[in-house]
Amino acid sequence: MTFPILASLILTPVAAALVVALVPNRRSELHLPLGITLSMIPLALAGWLFFAFEKGVAGYQYTQQAWWYEPWGMSWHVGVDGISLALVALTALLVPISLAASTSIVDRTKLFVVFMLILEAGLIGVFLALDMILFFLFFEVVLVPMYFIIGVWGGERRIYAAYKFFLYTALGSALMLAGIIALAFFHRDQAGLLSFDYQELLNLQLSDNAQLWLFGAFGLAFAIKVPIFPLHTWLPDAHVEAPTAGSVMLAGVLLKLGTYGFIRFNLGLFPQATVDLVPVMATLAVIGILYGAYVAIVQPDLKKLVAYSSVSHLGFIVLGTFALTQAAVEGAVIQMVNHGITTGVLFLMVGMIYERRHTKKIADFGGIWQVAPWFSGVFLFTAFASIGLPGLNGFVGEFMVLMGSYSTLPVAAILGAFGVVLAAIYLLWAYERVFTGPITIEENREVADLNVRELSLLAPLVALMLVLGLYPNIVLDRVSPSVEAVLDRMEATTTYVVPEPGPLFDVLGGGQGE
Amino acid sequence: MSEFFPIIAQIDSTAFNISYLAIAPELILAAGAALILMIDVFYKPRSAVHAGLVFSTLILATASAILQYDRVQDGATTHFSGMIVADEFAVFGMFILLAVTALGLLVAWPMVEELGRRGSETVALVLLSAAGFMFMVSGAHLMMIFLGLEIGSISLYILAGITRDSIRSDEAALKYFLLGSFASAIFVYGVALAYAGTGALSLSGIAEQLPATAVVLRPGVVLAAIALIITGLLFKVTAAPFHAWAPDVYQGSPAGIVGYMATAAKVAGFGALVRILYVSFGSFSDDWGPALAAVAAVSIVLGTVMAIMQTDMRRLLAYSGVAHAGFIITGIVGGNLQAVWFYLAVYVIQLIAAFAVVSVMAGPTGSVSPLEDYKGLGRRSPYLAGALTVMLLALSGMPATSGFIGKLGVFTSAWSGGYEWLVITALVASVAGFFFYIRIMVLMYMEEPVLAEAPGAEVAKPVVSPNVEVALAIAIAITLFFGIYPTPLLNFLG
Repeated sequence: MTFPILASLILTPVAAALVVALVPNRRSELHLPLGITLSMIPLALAGWLFFAFEKGVAGYQYTQQAWWYEPWGMSWHVGVDGISLALVALTALLVPISLAASTSIVDRTKLFVVFMLILEAGLIGVFLALDMILFFLFFEVVLVPMYFIIGVWGGERRIYAAYKFFLYTALGSALMLAGIIALAFFHRDQAGLLSFDYQELLNLQLSDNAQLWLFGAFGLAFAIKVPIFPLHTWLPDAHVEAPTAGSVMLAGVLLKLGTYGFIRFNLGLFPQATVDLVPVMATLAVIGILYGAYVAIVQPDLKKLVAYSSVSHLGFIVLGTFALTQAAVEGAVIQMVNHGITTGVLFLMVGMIYERRHTKKIADFGGIWQVAPWFSGVFLFTAFASIGLPGLNGFVGEFMVLMGSYSTLPVAAILGAFGVVLAAIYLLWAYERVFTGPITIEENREVADLNVRELSLLAPLVALMLVLGLYPNIVLDRVSPSVEAVLDRMEATTTYVVPEPGPLFDVLGGGQGE
Repeated sequence: MSEFFPIIAQIDSTAFNISYLAIAPELILAAGAALILMIDVFYKPRSAVHAGLVFSTLILATASAILQYDRVQDGATTHFSGMIVADEFAVFGMFILLAVTALGLLVAWPMVEELGRRGSETVALVLLSAAGFMFMVSGAHLMMIFLGLEIGSISLYILAGITRDSIRSDEAALKYFLLGSFASAIFVYGVALAYAGTGALSLSGIAEQLPATAVVLRPGVVLAAIALIITGLLFKVTAAPFHAWAPDVYQGSPAGIVGYMATAAKVAGFGALVRILYVSFGSFSDDWGPALAAVAAVSIVLGTVMAIMQTDMRRLLAYSGVAHAGFIITGIVGGNLQAVWFYLAVYVIQLIAAFAVVSVMAGPTGSVSPLEDYKGLGRRSPYLAGALTVMLLALSGMPATSGFIGKLGVFTSAWSGGYEWLVITALVASVAGFFFYIRIMVLMYMEEPVLAEAPGAEVAKPVVSPNVEVALAIAIAITLFFGIYPTPLLNFLG
């Protein structure tokens, strides 16, 4: 038997949480360092997995399946493909970094570290699960630690934000559970026995009508998670009130559960409904891109600005997903990773400046560049990456999405392109007001520059922005075959024909899996 | 029908077969109760002696239940002229009731010690009621079921008022007694009508008479009998709209014993309900199925909505119990009895553990448990707060706890029975249910304790007795283990 790498990825954070929980409260200074150290284990495993993953293979690798309860058709079934691989690695990377950025959490540190590690296990589990009940289990389990992280260590309106976060997302997943049960019964009717296995369910023959209903049940859960306009209202509240580590995990990974769910389940299981609903989803995506960006421009609060920018960036991912071309879907996948990295850094830096000045209001700053040049430099670099400056990671995803969408959704692609312009406006204008100009408020003279700890925890992410910007094929090579498989299936089961990629696409290095 | 319900025996009522082994668990519990009352006459109450006696009674009863399980593997048998049936269904009920009794007494022990002589009466009544409830799940005759129901219920009425000097406790006992007897009367009325309609009282005898021409042509009497019998039992399991007594009784009864009161009656009530419906009135399932589905929907929605509005922990748990009764009925109408037993088994453990925390917070004999008391519990007692959090998450149906597997089971059951609308109603209601479960977590972890005395005074840390600690540890282990790996329990119940 080979080493069960995927099970280890899910279970090591749980084991780490248990170890941290066993350290008594009187040694509370140990909890955070111990948590950071232990979270290196899943990171190492994920890193190994990322490079050991066989490129050019579309199917699932390192799969493991064992009956959970056979008569109900539930099994422990995990596997990794190109689409989930990068997200797993991103999760494993962001957890130690957000823990390291949480030195300001001094109240009930143990509980905090334990919840962060359980959150990690749940998030990795969502990406690896190939059984619908297992997937649902992890999808829901994620809620509890996140709820506590927002509610216990959050800002002033934390309780309201935590409630809203929990109930919104729980409502979505309840209907998804109904959809999952319905799928299992469709399988019973067609194949004679209940099954929750994702790969078994792919073989179902679903009527157009059934597909539409099920697409709705799954889609609502994912749309709330993404969030797609107009279901996004929980997001700014949750982001603003959450502590830094919570915001990083929320924006970096939690939102991706929605977009990942769309690609994996809605595109995979309900191809006909997907093709039929492309106009609706593309419209909502474009509204999200433009609305999120417009609202971000006028935010007086730096953290809220980054939160709304997420609505806009996630809109690109949804647009790419439903453009249903090789380039666009690949772009959506890599944009998930890129957004996790850049927005993660933005939230980390907003948290750092909040620790220094205890305010996030843009108007309270000005001229920070003079006292904290490193801080300003890294922020500007990240802002450029987020806007999509060529050479940095944000460019790759958004460009592939827009280019890929143009062949199937030209209007949406053109409108979406304005999102990039607006991103430049809200981020650079905010940068101008916070970092440039004269220092008008005396407290700002005391703002310290990045210290070694902060610099070292930002460094890996900043390096990734450059690496993924210059050589995105590290990820794309692994993503392409899996995306191609999704689209091939769509062509095989519907009348939809995926447009041939143009010459520019080959220049970018896409489609190498062929 | 029988393909769905292999675990319920077809009853052969002609066998005049007296086997005391078949009722050994009940006899042992009753004997233990009698012994405890007797030694009380001769000796001053000493909790060590009592504890030893209770412990050995439960061990013996469990051992005989295990032997019983072994015997029924060779096939179900009936005893005492078709009064008692020994089948897997009955043994499952016994196991769950024994677990509830053991955990319930563990939680009630501080109260037993505080009450002195009446403490031993408490123990005796608990054991006696458990014996009665076991007769309910193993009864194959409506009279037997009624006797078991009364033995169990009357013991519970007394337990509700066992502290005597508390007005609230007396009020709870009186309310429980009046409404409970009313429900028993309705049940007996149903039994009488069943006899009038079919001329039989044994469960299988009734089933044999149902195809008779007289019944088919004029089913009114039988339908009325079904309605009344169901109503009487729904009262015992706090299903809406027969739930109104529960919040008052749970709130007023001594805190140490509420957990047992709330759970034992449910196990027995559902056990008897399922057996009567499927063995006797299985051919009428088109009539009672939709009616029960409506009861389930009303229970789930009403229980959830009312629980949201409560300000007292025990009333909240009572209304959540109404919703849970609805979930269990959802499983019953679908017909998957394995899912029903699983739900019941894990639910009663969650509930008893939640009430264990209540008994610590309110004091062993205390009445009322305002939610305010739970503010800041996360700081004052991390263990209690953590245990209650696990139980609340399980009650809300959060995955990775046994509550989720339970809900999944009853939902798939109802779905396969064609009650898709009920599943969707229940799912939406469970989301609303999160609202009040997480509210308690908000109080415990996200708000600061209320200072009763002068500002600056230290907030009292609740004192947890070792018994309660053990009971909570067991409940947490069971809840998480069967949440992550339900297979052993499902295999056992399948």
